[in-house]
Amino acid sequence: MVAVLIGLVPLLPLLVALGIGIDRFLWGDRGEAGEGVMARSAQAAAGGSLLLLLFLDLVALGEGAFPGQVMLFPWLESGSFRLAVSFTLDRLSLPMATLVAVVGFLTVRFSVNYMHREGGFARFFAVLSLFLGAMFLLVLAGNPGLMFVGWELAGVASYLLIGYAVERTTAVRNATVALVTNRFGDAGFLIGLLLAQRWALPLEWSELVAGAGELDNLHVGVMTGGFLVAALAKSAQLPFAAWIPRALEGPTPSSAVFYGSLMVHAGVYFLLRLEPLLLTTPILMVFLSLVGLLTIVHGAMVGLVQTDVKSAFIFSIQAQVGLMFLACGVGWFELAFWHMLAHAAWRAYPFLSAPSYMHLVQGRARPVPAWLAPSLALYALAVRRSWLDALGEMLILRPAHALARDLQTFDEWGIDRVVGHTQGGGSPSSLGEWESLSLSGHAPDSPEVAWGRGMLGRALQRLAVGCNWFEERLLLRSGREGFDRFLLRLGHYLELTDRLLAMPRYLLLLVIMTFVFLL
Amino acid sequence: MPILSLMVALPLVGAVLLVAAGGRVYRLALLMTGLELILAVVAALQVDPAVTGFQLVERHAWIPSLGIHYHVGVDALSALFLPLSALLFGVVVMTSRHHLARPMPGLFFAMLALLEGATMGVFVALDTMFFFLFWELTLVPTYFLVALWGAGPYRRQAATKYTLIMMAGGVPLLFGLLLAALDHPVPLFDLPALLATPLPVSRQTAVFLLLLLGFGVKTPLVPLHTWLATVAMEGPVAAVAIMTGLKLGAYGLLRFAIPIAPEAARSFDWLLVALGVAGILMGGFAALVQTNLRRLLAYASISHVGLVVLGLASFTLQGVQGAVFQLLSFALVSGGLYCLTGFLHQRFGSTDLIHLGGLVRSMPLATALFLFLGLGGLGIPLTAGFPGELLLLLGAAQTHFGAFLAALAGTILGAAAFLVFYRNAFLGPPAHPDLVRGPDLLPHERMALGGVSLILFLGGILPSIILDYTQGAALGWLQGVTRPLP
Repeated sequence: MVAVLIGLVPLLPLLVALGIGIDRFLWGDRGEAGEGVMARSAQAAAGGSLLLLLFLDLVALGEGAFPGQVMLFPWLESGSFRLAVSFTLDRLSLPMATLVAVVGFLTVRFSVNYMHREGGFARFFAVLSLFLGAMFLLVLAGNPGLMFVGWELAGVASYLLIGYAVERTTAVRNATVALVTNRFGDAGFLIGLLLAQRWALPLEWSELVAGAGELDNLHVGVMTGGFLVAALAKSAQLPFAAWIPRALEGPTPSSAVFYGSLMVHAGVYFLLRLEPLLLTTPILMVFLSLVGLLTIVHGAMVGLVQTDVKSAFIFSIQAQVGLMFLACGVGWFELAFWHMLAHAAWRAYPFLSAPSYMHLVQGRARPVPAWLAPSLALYALAVRRSWLDALGEMLILRPAHALARDLQTFDEWGIDRVVGHTQGGGSPSSLGEWESLSLSGHAPDSPEVAWGRGMLGRALQRLAVGCNWFEERLLLRSGREGFDRFLLRLGHYLELTDRLLAMPRYLLLLVIMTFVFLL
Repeated sequence: MPILSLMVALPLVGAVLLVAAGGRVYRLALLMTGLELILAVVAALQVDPAVTGFQLVERHAWIPSLGIHYHVGVDALSALFLPLSALLFGVVVMTSRHHLARPMPGLFFAMLALLEGATMGVFVALDTMFFFLFWELTLVPTYFLVALWGAGPYRRQAATKYTLIMMAGGVPLLFGLLLAALDHPVPLFDLPALLATPLPVSRQTAVFLLLLLGFGVKTPLVPLHTWLATVAMEGPVAAVAIMTGLKLGAYGLLRFAIPIAPEAARSFDWLLVALGVAGILMGGFAALVQTNLRRLLAYASISHVGLVVLGLASFTLQGVQGAVFQLLSFALVSGGLYCLTGFLHQRFGSTDLIHLGGLVRSMPLATALFLFLGLGGLGIPLTAGFPGELLLLLGAAQTHFGAFLAALAGTILGAAAFLVFYRNAFLGPPAHPDLVRGPDLLPHERMALGGVSLILFLGGILPSIILDYTQGAALGWLQGVTRPLP
């Protein structure tokens, strides 16, 4: 029953993040005085999680078996939709979580000195703790729903740390791009998760995988395809590759854990989790290999011409992750697993020491390789980073904006025309205003008090003018003009007709006429 | 204790007192909304979620010759709107403190109180005519709030336009309710009785379409939505926060339109889905190009309520529970964000992008809370926005796959619109020297927004409290709506 302790692993860092947030809300920025407590609590949480995980690892080793599914408590339930806080402890998640804890703890420790006397010290540790908690949830979650929680929180934490330098325009712009790109992946995740529920699959990982075997291949393919989009976006594979080089605006330790070591591998981890589902849908495997291959080429080529330490790293990381996707695509999941662990463990170090390279390496940046330099097209491809930014702008950003503007125009010139504009017209809104306007000599030319705008308004005005005319001409004018006179004359004629009809000769004439018409 | 009647009466009495009282109107208003909140919480706790059907019912003859009753009551679906509305009004009163320095503060708070009373009446009314009375009564305070204390130069026109459009929407609503009542041997205005005796299908279609039109104007559904952006620009933040936060139109669909005419609603589910998707996409795209925070939030709210309509149209338990959850959480999000907008307007005299930029230096706390509330609106986990959005999407995914995909696109659009505006307004270097001098949140502002954020957070980590509360009533609703034809 010790496995229940697993719940504490994500909880500890999340509590620290919450605590720092509440502290800042209540007492504001305490400057350097607050650093000690925050740093110590963040370290304690990361260290505590690490110790817990090591303990669980030892228990698993001692028993020679993994605990498997650990069900803690139901969380979000509505009818047949049951999302529980449950964890999967198997040979995939336990090593990965332990690695996350090791890298996380070391990074927190590193950051205590690195971030000393930085303006956003508290914010950095809060977000780093939030990220660790999210990463634990992502890795250990026993069902895709809880994993999605970690998945989204990791994305938000990444947003907050890319935009760490809140007053630097590039940093905050890149943070926005990164989070919006991630939302595409999240949408894919939701397709997979909610379709699994629609097709009545149980949500726990082990049962989900077993239940999917009874669905037909098309359904499994659509569901897994959604999950696959999420994996591609999180691991910055093509076509979502453009956000990750932008993400390096954050402080170095955060870049190291997010994009060097941990979060970038979340997609690969997800694929490993989905292994049985992927194996039933060969077409997705082919797609996966293609994407991996293209990303390898992209990462390797672009990495060659980078002159900045972090950028050079990130493209080589992208290529390595592409290799893992390729390995999954051709069915070597075991290889991808070990590659992922080794790569994650190793990448943290060079990334953390990247700022020191500037001092250690005195020489100039590496020249462009001889084979690449002569080919203008290839060189342009590398320098322009495969035109991904331009493509994204051309295919998504600009059409979306154009459509948005069109809809806005439709609102203003279509619907508002019918209903009536509010702005722009100079019509007085009340009788008092009209009086003050007319007293000051600025009264509008037309004598009406109010006039309608928009199609409905104008129709209403026409009707009002018509009614007014009727009232004025026919009803209100008294005596010899207007309606009275009309009625008098009408009455006169009627009386005359009556009198004529009373005479026998006209009555006879009428009877004869009736017969003529009838016959 | 007739707690629901007390809840309706207290703000109305409070409104009279506020007009009569010379000074100290702020304290009086705060006291009144505080008492109302306590009453609302007690009422919500008194409701037994296990019991289906209406509770805390009070019924007295009102116009006996026509069979119209004073009839109030709540069930677990509507009970939660009471404390939430009371909370929102409390927050709005708290953040309207600066109105003390403006003309006629007593009347301002009295109008807010009148609006609160009418809103509570809308939520508790079980007699269709009685409901309609309160429905129309909300127009009076709103007209004066917008016309007299609005923020924009065309506030009077906006108030006129709003009132005219709402009254135009009231006509089909009244006809719909009358048509439903007159189909019975004796005119029947009693909601529980109406639900118990289904209308013939041919009559339902007309009733449903009329009610949909009437409620759709207020919701607002595309293409009847342009008044919201106008009022959001011209009206005072206090009124706008309540108008966009409390989606009375969506509540009307949930409580009256669909249950009174269930077969028609089910056969017209394509119409609801189309309206929902149109709202989601229209709101999402239009929000992308807004340069003013007030308009942006108005379009975001159109997008949110579109998702609610889509969820209702799925006729699944998840869709109904998600709709209620989303209406509750979005009231917090929208109310909180509009209050923050009000603080910005007060400090800098504008909420337009050209006057904002880089507020983070002078207002870090406001920046953080704005992001938290905004993420709640985007449905990020650990906020109350997440369960609602997830359940609504699940409802849509189960019945309307295409609409579900469109709704997903809407979530991306919403994120882009919010984050881009947030970056331009709050992050980056300060755009003008004046912006650096704005004070960060004052204590009363901090308390109001902190409270809203706390509840948003708690709703996100403990969604089961609300879901368990509404489950029984939602099941009952669903059974009533999907029962087979007699």
